[in-house]
Amino acid sequence: MVAAGVFAKKRFCIKPYLFVLPMLLFAVVFVYYPFFRTFLNGFSLVNAQGRLLRYTGLDNFRYLFGRREFASALGNTLMLTTVNVPVTVVLSLTLAVIAAKKRTLSPLYETLFSLPMAVSMATAALIWKTMFNPTVGIVNRLLGTELGWFESRDTALGTLLTLTVWMGVGFNFLVFLSALRGISPDTVGAAQVDGAGRFQVFWHIRLPAIAPSVVYVASSNAVLALMTSGPVMIITQGGPSRATSTLIYMMYTSGYASGNDSLAACVSLVTFALTFAFTFLLLFLERDKVRGL
Amino acid sequence: MKLIKSALWQLTALCAGLILVFPLIYAVFGAFKTPAEFGAWPPSLLPDSFGNLENFKAVFKQIPMLRYMLNSLITSLITGTVKTLLSCLAAYGFAYYDFRGKKALFFLILAAMMLPADTLILTNYRTVTRLGLIDTYLGICVVSFVGASQLLLLRGELCRLPASLWDAAKMDGCGDLRYLAFILMPMERGILLTLFLQAFVAQWNSYLWPLLVTTRMDMRTVQVGISMLTSAENTNYETVLAGSAAALVPSLILFFVSRKSFTGADASGAEVE
Repeated sequence: MVAAGVFAKKRFCIKPYLFVLPMLLFAVVFVYYPFFRTFLNGFSLVNAQGRLLRYTGLDNFRYLFGRREFASALGNTLMLTTVNVPVTVVLSLTLAVIAAKKRTLSPLYETLFSLPMAVSMATAALIWKTMFNPTVGIVNRLLGTELGWFESRDTALGTLLTLTVWMGVGFNFLVFLSALRGISPDTVGAAQVDGAGRFQVFWHIRLPAIAPSVVYVASSNAVLALMTSGPVMIITQGGPSRATSTLIYMMYTSGYASGNDSLAACVSLVTFALTFAFTFLLLFLERDKVRGL
Repeated sequence: MKLIKSALWQLTALCAGLILVFPLIYAVFGAFKTPAEFGAWPPSLLPDSFGNLENFKAVFKQIPMLRYMLNSLITSLITGTVKTLLSCLAAYGFAYYDFRGKKALFFLILAAMMLPADTLILTNYRTVTRLGLIDTYLGICVVSFVGASQLLLLRGELCRLPASLWDAAKMDGCGDLRYLAFILMPMERGILLTLFLQAFVAQWNSYLWPLLVTTRMDMRTVQVGISMLTSAENTNYETVLAGSAAALVPSLILFFVSRKSFTGADASGAEVE
């Protein structure tokens, strides 16, 4: 804000608004309007053309909460999120710790560790679908099993989870790597002089130092996991018998495929609420726990 | 002793890395296998020969892959360019001018970050339909133009520049747009390139929205197109892997080009005076 005060203009001037207007316009039309419209739709009866007919209060939500379809979508989404976040954090952090010290082969395995981020969701989903195919897939062949990984209710969600974790590892590894390398060597050195072991140094010095990155990775992954829908659409279509259906997938099917905008809006609002809840929970945890370490 | 320890450590890291990227190796090698090899026991990693291009031919026969690549390229270019330009303009306005409602407007744009795009796609789909943008390039990109975090970053950069620079330019009779285009943008080209590439990659990889707003075969993007290779009843997995491998090529190129800009975003910047 150095520059702002210096160039303050006394009289009203239209010019600054013109610079800001284009982005504002897109934000209003494609972010705020749909957000408020989703609110309206959630509390109203909407016809197949998307026109509001009348206010219905909480009827849509009552209908939604009564559906078993919704219960499974919500349960699966929460399961994906609560498992994905800690697994992703631990896995990417482990890789970052392995790679933290610069060595001869560093460029090589740093590239390998971050490579998953190059792969688009659709490509990764297709590869997973092939790898876990019961007859031709490599996984069954290597393990000597005959499981239908995506076809069985017991394994479908877990297999999907491996995919979502894999997709996030590359980028989060880089976040942790640059955070770890940013720690001043003096602090670590001082602790080592005081006789702290490797593990102690990590737990008491390195981890607290990169706490903001941990929170960033956790919260961004929580939001991404809550939005899981692409792999579901490409691999399982929510099956078998709703075992992999997620909230956004349900929003898509009820809104786009079945034309029920009210129901889709309710699902969307539930997802919003969860997004806020998870984000605030993580911020809260950061303030209370991580800084106190 | 120390040398052996370091070698072992690096070897472990390398193995972990290879396990992590195994799905990619599997996809690329599998793309060259014949159906017989693919179903053979015991399974082999390498195909018999890399000369077997039948799977790729099958991909190109089933879907217009080159057309999809072109569509993805055009939409990613549009999104990268427009998003970066809009952020530049807005950052300039917010950094160099004081005006009524400035704080409120700034907050309004930033708060858009809090609303995940995926939850808004159905209402946006209605809007885009009403605007007649279904099956158009603009329709595929139009929802990705708002870059709140980009604005935040750029405004911060502009505020860091010395005020005398702006004074001097004004004194010489340099207009706002000229100042922005010929002085600020070249000075901040490192960051602008980063922002452009991030927007480009995000658009290239997007799936749900392009799926929603395209109905015509020839308007599909790569991501939507290759996922059409697998259907519920009849899926030829060698073809699926060939499609994936083909889609991997531009993605990997993008990765190696933009890798620096994802990690070293803060390293580049303006060299003032």
